Amino acid sequence: MFLINCPYCGERDQSEFSAGGEAHIVRPKQPTELSDDQWAEFLFMRKNIKGVQFERWNHIHGCRKWFNMVRDTSNDKIHTVYKMGEKPPIK
Amino acid sequence: MLNYNLPINVTKDYSEINFSTVDPVLKINLRGKNREFITKIGKILSIIPPTDPNISSGNENLNILWLSPDEWLLYSNDKIDPVNLHAYLNNDVLEEKLYNEISLAKLGSITNVSDHWVMINLKGKNIFELLTAGCPFNFNKFKNTKGAVTQTLLNHIDVIIHNKDINDLNIFVRRSFSEHLFLWMNDTAARI
Repeated sequence: MFLINCPYCGERDQSEFSAGGEAHIVRPKQPTELSDDQWAEFLFMRKNIKGVQFERWNHIHGCRKWFNMVRDTSNDKIHTVYKMGEKPPIK
Repeated sequence: MLNYNLPINVTKDYSEINFSTVDPVLKINLRGKNREFITKIGKILSIIPPTDPNISSGNENLNILWLSPDEWLLYSNDKIDPVNLHAYLNNDVLEEKLYNEISLAKLGSITNVSDHWVMINLKGKNIFELLTAGCPFNFNKFKNTKGAVTQTLLNHIDVIIHNKDINDLNIFVRRSFSEHLFLWMNDTAARI
């Protein structure tokens, strides 16, 4: 259990949130021109690394807004949160 | 046909905790993003929807609760005569006015959620003891802030909590979960 600072509501318990997987995955501009393997790569393949990861989260039991988070998956340390559409503040 | 009948209709008294469902009151969900929407709501209701998070605004008749940057819950303080309930809610002038001037003008959306949420009123010194028994939210600042609003989980059930006054708050819970939540509150309050 850890605290997440929702960019809209403020600091809340993690149980109010839902994880939405890896962030900043760009949808291909011409999906019909992709092979099945390329489409599967976009649709299913995620990094799931041990370390600092860019993720999407939803404050599902609060304001129901999506936002991005930079989290270290090895120790759950949250480096930063930022709104959807904003560029990642760290690389 | 909307169902305005309350699933629970009792008042419970425990040591410094009193809670009861409140007679159906008008509840309207307001959704909109632009400044025109907020200005229009302000003109119709004479209340500006709060743009800062976790607060509410209101007058003696109506309250507007902040739910998210583009969503608010409007509810009335008036208790409605049960005999004329359907007539009142179905022909409500306020809702019609909001609908005509906002939904039809495509400024935002207006949805009557009177039957969707059940409102439970809690009073007494120990109400926050009851809430903290099943809620991950930190009430330290909330309980001293009149008009504060939060959406959180209570016994794993989604709720909206409005701090009307010191030791006096309203909890909004979805109708289908209301009986379960009320039973849990009853059970927990008996042990405090």
